Amino acid sequence: MSASLDPRLARSTSADPDLVAMLSQLFDDYRAARSAPREVIDFDAELWARLDELGLTRLTASEQSGGSGASWFDGAALLALAAGAGAPVPLLEHGFLAAWLLEAAGLPNDGRLRTVCRPDPAGVALNVTYGRDAASIVALFEDGDEWRVADVPVDRRSITRGRNLAGEPSETVEFDLADLAAGATVEEEVGEQFHLRGALARCAQVCGAFERIVELVVAHVREREQFGRPIGRFQAVQRLVADLAAEASLARAATDTAVARATDSDWTDPGLLFAVGVAKSCVGHAASVVVRNAHQALGAIGTTLEHELHTLTKPALARRSEFGSIHEWDETLTRLATSAGHDRLWSLVTTGRAAPPH
Amino acid sequence: MTRALVPPVVTEGPDLTKLRLEVRAFLDDQVADGRFVPHVDTWLTRWDREFTRELGRRGWLGMTIPTEYGGHGRTFLERFVVTEELLVVGAPVAAQWVADRQIGPSLLRHGTEEQKRAFLPRIASGDLVFGIGMSEPDAGSDLAGVRTRGERVDDGWRLTGTKVWTSGAHEADAFFVLARTAQPDPADRHAGLSQFIVDLRAPGVEIRPILSMGGDHHFNEVHLDGVFVPDERVLGQVGEGWRQVTSELGFERSGPERFLSTFQLLAEAASAMDEGRLPQDVGLGRHVARVAALHQMSFAVATALEAHAEADVAAAVVKVLGTTSEGDIADYVDTLTATGWVEDEELYRLLHAAILQRPGFTLRGGTNEILSGVIARGLGLR
Ligand SMILES: Cc1cc2nc3c(=O)[nH]c(=O)nc-3n(C[C@H](O)[C@H](O)[C@H](O)COP(=O)(O)OP(=O)(O)OC[C@H]3O[C@@H](n4cnc5c(N)ncnc54)[C@H](O)[C@@H]3O)c2cc1C
Repeated sequence: MSASLDPRLARSTSADPDLVAMLSQLFDDYRAARSAPREVIDFDAELWARLDELGLTRLTASEQSGGSGASWFDGAALLALAAGAGAPVPLLEHGFLAAWLLEAAGLPNDGRLRTVCRPDPAGVALNVTYGRDAASIVALFEDGDEWRVADVPVDRRSITRGRNLAGEPSETVEFDLADLAAGATVEEEVGEQFHLRGALARCAQVCGAFERIVELVVAHVREREQFGRPIGRFQAVQRLVADLAAEASLARAATDTAVARATDSDWTDPGLLFAVGVAKSCVGHAASVVVRNAHQALGAIGTTLEHELHTLTKPALARRSEFGSIHEWDETLTRLATSAGHDRLWSLVTTGRAAPPH
Repeated sequence: MTRALVPPVVTEGPDLTKLRLEVRAFLDDQVADGRFVPHVDTWLTRWDREFTRELGRRGWLGMTIPTEYGGHGRTFLERFVVTEELLVVGAPVAAQWVADRQIGPSLLRHGTEEQKRAFLPRIASGDLVFGIGMSEPDAGSDLAGVRTRGERVDDGWRLTGTKVWTSGAHEADAFFVLARTAQPDPADRHAGLSQFIVDLRAPGVEIRPILSMGGDHHFNEVHLDGVFVPDERVLGQVGEGWRQVTSELGFERSGPERFLSTFQLLAEAASAMDEGRLPQDVGLGRHVARVAALHQMSFAVATALEAHAEADVAAAVVKVLGTTSEGDIADYVDTLTATGWVEDEELYRLLHAAILQRPGFTLRGGTNEILSGVIARGLGLR
């Protein structure tokens, strides 16, 4: 269908179908083979090695820097499918943010496991996912008027281990300010883009979790019988499922739109702040409906440790609040909308920019 | 993986953007010249035949109708951006809406050559206003229960029955009537239904207004008392009415009118917040985000329709989400306002109209309860 589109009218935003097929297979196999869910999630070194072999750990980083040079359409597909399998690997941190920051700063990247963070002026960073597993932590640091990127190796920082809502490693890291001040300077836009890239990549992950949740819920309500028939035959249950699937579709549309705007402009489109905000808002609010309805439709079994559902619902909730809470993003959108005002709101909606009144 | 409910989003190409801006500039001038006062839900409640004809002159009606039938041979995507621009400024488009959205495509698909020549050029010029005669007092959601009967007579049919909720029948020239032309078959409730193109000024047609709760008149009850319809005004095949009606649902349900009915209110609220006439509230950003995502989703369905892909389930998703959201906007703005607004205040005018129109959003064109069933079927639950 998309093949027949006239690009002067509309352009497709899809990932490479061969890559998607390969990734679907890979993560389906992973899900089928892995052990029962636990209350904590630990880094899976074996899976990481396999992904690395396939050139997936730095899929969107440039080839010169050791990455695979793929588009963010492909990158978003990787993040979504990995998240749908609950893959315990820092693909986003290592491949989408750390690798990009190092490249932007002109620093070398030896490909060893990295995570990423934004320390405060005192050199402290909270919620650093997979910090304990990383060989090095890439810190983006606002040093007075300058933005710096420092690649700080494992033995040069102090880590207090923690876990986020999903049970993922999520640490507090204290840096030596001298290490941060020694980082390479980067353009100010890198700081802004970091937030946008992180927020959008998290959206792609949550969409991937939603899509697996829809599969689980549909399969469950078709199989589980009460009152002599599958519960999916009851209209009340159908409504729960239809609503969660519709919200997941809207979140997907918003996320794909932002990915397209980022990819088509190589992250320079001034409408990106709005587009990422729309994705964040739609994904975040969708999570409320998707998580609630999915648990409702699955009944008590869906609340147990052994069931797959929480390996998706917990990360969805943990991730929707990262790189800006839903409230903060709704505030940003509100600010953009009020300054656009009556005459330019529609321009904002369609392009992300409130073009001057004509 | 479960098949996605909605086709993947596509981005707008340069030709569409150019068309969009062209339409927008024209409409801005029209507003500046006082040709119309922007309003909410105008596609159901604001008829302006002269405005509609002007759109026809500019080539913005019947866009997807082939040129040999007086149309413009353009794509559904081009039509999509034109209709979006018309809706967001709250232009008076009710006179063209039904004809342009579904009668045209339906005639192209099921009509005879003579019917196409008789109707399509006048749809494209904006000279012909159509209504839809599906619902009846006893056939709402359960449309297959229509009781209007078509009796075979020499050279045609005689229709007898009552249609209700017929939007704009008092303004329209003709309407499509769904009627029973064979005894009900308990084994197949959808068999024996047929569609007719009925002249609303024919003898035996009586149109009675039904006032809406705000006191305005857009609904009607249309009585058909043995109205003669010649054979050449049967649409498609006798007995195939159900299939024909349901084959148009993708067009009827996925368009931008399913989420933009209250856009003027949202836009006015944005200015009011900026100027301190409404409190700053993050709900605004949240609603704007949904509108933006729905715009993309609806556009994606338009590309599927353009490619003749099956889009009934996707259209149901757009309609359930979109009509809920456009209604929520009315309620949201209401929660921000106190009483004591002045009567002629723009925000107040739009808000009150939106609140009164809101209940209809999630009913018309198939209720959201029924559409949730369509989505559930798409997911394999029924
Ligand atoms: C603004 C507006 C414009 C309209 N314009 C036209 C027009 O131009 N032409 C035309 O033919 N019709 C028109 N209609 C009619 C519209 O199509 C019907 O209102 C609609 O099909 C619902 O039928 P009903 O009103 O009889 O409600 P009912 O079918 O009686 O439904 C009442 C309630 O019961 C629910 N319900 C019914 N059946 C089920 C079920 N199986 N499962 C779950 N819930 C169910 C419905 O969702 C709804 O909430 C218009 C309606 C409105 C509001």
